[in-house]
Amino acid sequence: MSPINPVRTAIVAAGQTDFGRRFDASMAELCREAIDRCLESRNLSFDDIDAVCAGNMEMFEGIYMVDQLFVGALGALGKPVYKLNTGGTVGASTALAAYHLVASGRHKRVLGVGFQKQTEGSTQSAITTVGDPVWERAVMAGAIGNFASMASTYISMSGVTQEQAAKVAVKARKNACLNPHAQLKMPDITVEQVLESPMLAYPIHQLDFCPASDGACAVVMAAEDVAADLADHPAWVHAVATAHDQQYMGDQPARLAVMRSLQAASKKAYALAGIDDPVQDFDVAEIYEPATYAELAWYENLQFCEMGKGGEAIDSGLTLMDGELPVNPSGGVLSANAVGATAMVRVAEAALQVMGEAGEHQIDGVNRALATGYGGNAWTDVMILSRERPRPSAEVSR
Amino acid sequence: MTTDTWIVGCAEARSALSRQDVSITEFAWEAIEPALEAAGTRLADIEGGVTASQDFWDGRTISSMSVNEIAGGTFRSEAKIASDACLGLGYALARVQDGDQRLNVVVAHAKESQADAHTVELAAFDPYFERALDPDDTVVCAFQAQQLYARGTFTPEHAARVVAAARRRSSFLEEVTVQDVLGAPPTADPLRELDRAPLVDAASAIVICDGETADKLGRPRVRLAGAASRTSAYWTQRDDLCDAIAAAAAMDDALELAGWRASDLDAIEINAPFAHQHLIVGAALGLGEADALVARFEGDGEGAELNVSGGWLGGSAGTVAGLHSVVSLVKRLRDRGGRALVHSTSGIAAQSHHVVLLEAAR
Repeated sequence: MSPINPVRTAIVAAGQTDFGRRFDASMAELCREAIDRCLESRNLSFDDIDAVCAGNMEMFEGIYMVDQLFVGALGALGKPVYKLNTGGTVGASTALAAYHLVASGRHKRVLGVGFQKQTEGSTQSAITTVGDPVWERAVMAGAIGNFASMASTYISMSGVTQEQAAKVAVKARKNACLNPHAQLKMPDITVEQVLESPMLAYPIHQLDFCPASDGACAVVMAAEDVAADLADHPAWVHAVATAHDQQYMGDQPARLAVMRSLQAASKKAYALAGIDDPVQDFDVAEIYEPATYAELAWYENLQFCEMGKGGEAIDSGLTLMDGELPVNPSGGVLSANAVGATAMVRVAEAALQVMGEAGEHQIDGVNRALATGYGGNAWTDVMILSRERPRPSAEVSR
Repeated sequence: MTTDTWIVGCAEARSALSRQDVSITEFAWEAIEPALEAAGTRLADIEGGVTASQDFWDGRTISSMSVNEIAGGTFRSEAKIASDACLGLGYALARVQDGDQRLNVVVAHAKESQADAHTVELAAFDPYFERALDPDDTVVCAFQAQQLYARGTFTPEHAARVVAAARRRSSFLEEVTVQDVLGAPPTADPLRELDRAPLVDAASAIVICDGETADKLGRPRVRLAGAASRTSAYWTQRDDLCDAIAAAAAMDDALELAGWRASDLDAIEINAPFAHQHLIVGAALGLGEADALVARFEGDGEGAELNVSGGWLGGSAGTVAGLHSVVSLVKRLRDRGGRALVHSTSGIAAQSHHVVLLEAAR
């Protein structure tokens, strides 16, 4: 057996649907819309793809083995299709799988696709099954209760205010106006409007929370020897990392306000990519923030600011489009959330920023970008992308 | 760094038609703990896990949450593949090969006793055009068996002999005769109850690592020499439900990756939920036709040993079956050495085919 060194790997193409209540398209058609946009951006076809990684939370729409039903739409006929099913992170986990299949030398070009059509199922019911059937399901139904608990704890711990959280909502929905794919575009949104929106579960107002969307996202991971021919500025993968917390919410301290898995995964990824000061070293970040309070807490856990200073970070404008470290110029999860696609959108948006192809929400001069995924079990995926190639044979993912 | 990846530990939970005495977490740990022990390592040293399970069978979104913390996932990496564990093993192999993880646990679990198979399988069909007909895998596989038997090469008796051979090798299922199978209650013509693998609670685990780690652990090892997978069209888009082009292609891919020929193989395991699918896949893999192929399942033919573990029909579960065969062959290869191929399927009417290759010094 001949030796194979880790293959330097890049995202060379990304595409996504327009997100929203997509009554005009089936879930398979949404997949195809994202894939076509992705492949056509580089004049690629299904014939150029060696393997497909598919991410979707099956119980949301109630389709078991959806990768098999959609094999044609996914372009996976006659190919390996890796079906991932990891919760909110699934889009990122799918992108990571595509990365590993290329970095290992197994394949040259792998298509990753994340998709969800929440108008055709009951997300709340499906998410409730995440909880332990005896101890959790009766008292912690769905995602909103989870984040209400988190936000209450976070307020208690850090003193963050509802106004500061509302500023995140304002930032997201204004940024979304520059993103043709986003669902919630609110150019005139104000802090007051957020605070006056209906209360879902204290302290989460409706505008503090992400929408339920239909949509899909696709990326192509490519090996070094083909990547440069496919994109002028490939988004090279410098680090990937995954971490989880314990299975039950009650065992996770501070209800995610202190997110140990995000700390662990980002610490590992930062070390691999040589990130010493995230605010200085990253030019943009696309993070998975299902709720406004989560984004503020994630700033702290990602070391964008000191612990307990997330509210001050948004007050300072640190993460605005023209701030020192723009966070979610796409509008983020707060502006579109088709769960199976959402974490891949973070990866795709980070890649588009690195490739200089983000359109109206492009940040000038992006060299290095961070993408994160979040899901049940405090599941965290982290990916760091750059315009610069990693060092040869660098162990970019250890 | 080299591509050499080693299996240094493996084990299985006690399979049974029902393991109501344990939770899913306890059940999977029954496999993981002895696998770690066999590898001479402990959970704290595992760098990450790849798990295989299905939300629908567990009745739980993110079904891997039940095993995450016992697969090394707490503050480390666990990734879940929703398919047969052979596909998961292929993914885990990639993560060792690219240097992501040096020591990884692969675990698959299914407690089929806790779900209603028809309800779960019905959810795999197109919700608009098919579900109103109330199909399941048995119904479609009956079409497949009709096509197969209409060609005249294989008969229901061939399939019954495959079942009887598998049951003789089972560690816990009762033996059955060919007459038992042919006389079992019909399910969907021409299939009968015993044509299908019984629903089983099963969990299997293996520990894989790179060469440097295997040297440190110093345990008996089996090389994971390759992995490949291919997917066919959805069943309504297949002109011929009896083709297993994807199985043959996956085998060819894996053999090419390993630099082997089919004639190098000393043992082969075919895994599918229905007996007649063993005939389809066996023929596609070039293992013979009609009586010659069936004789190999019965242990009487020439060439590589076939399904010495009994495979899925001998008592395993969807998602787990491929890894069950891997565990069986790892133990066999440690004793005898040689080269082996494990095949498994997933999807309605065996839509996807997965292959892994194993090798140990003679």
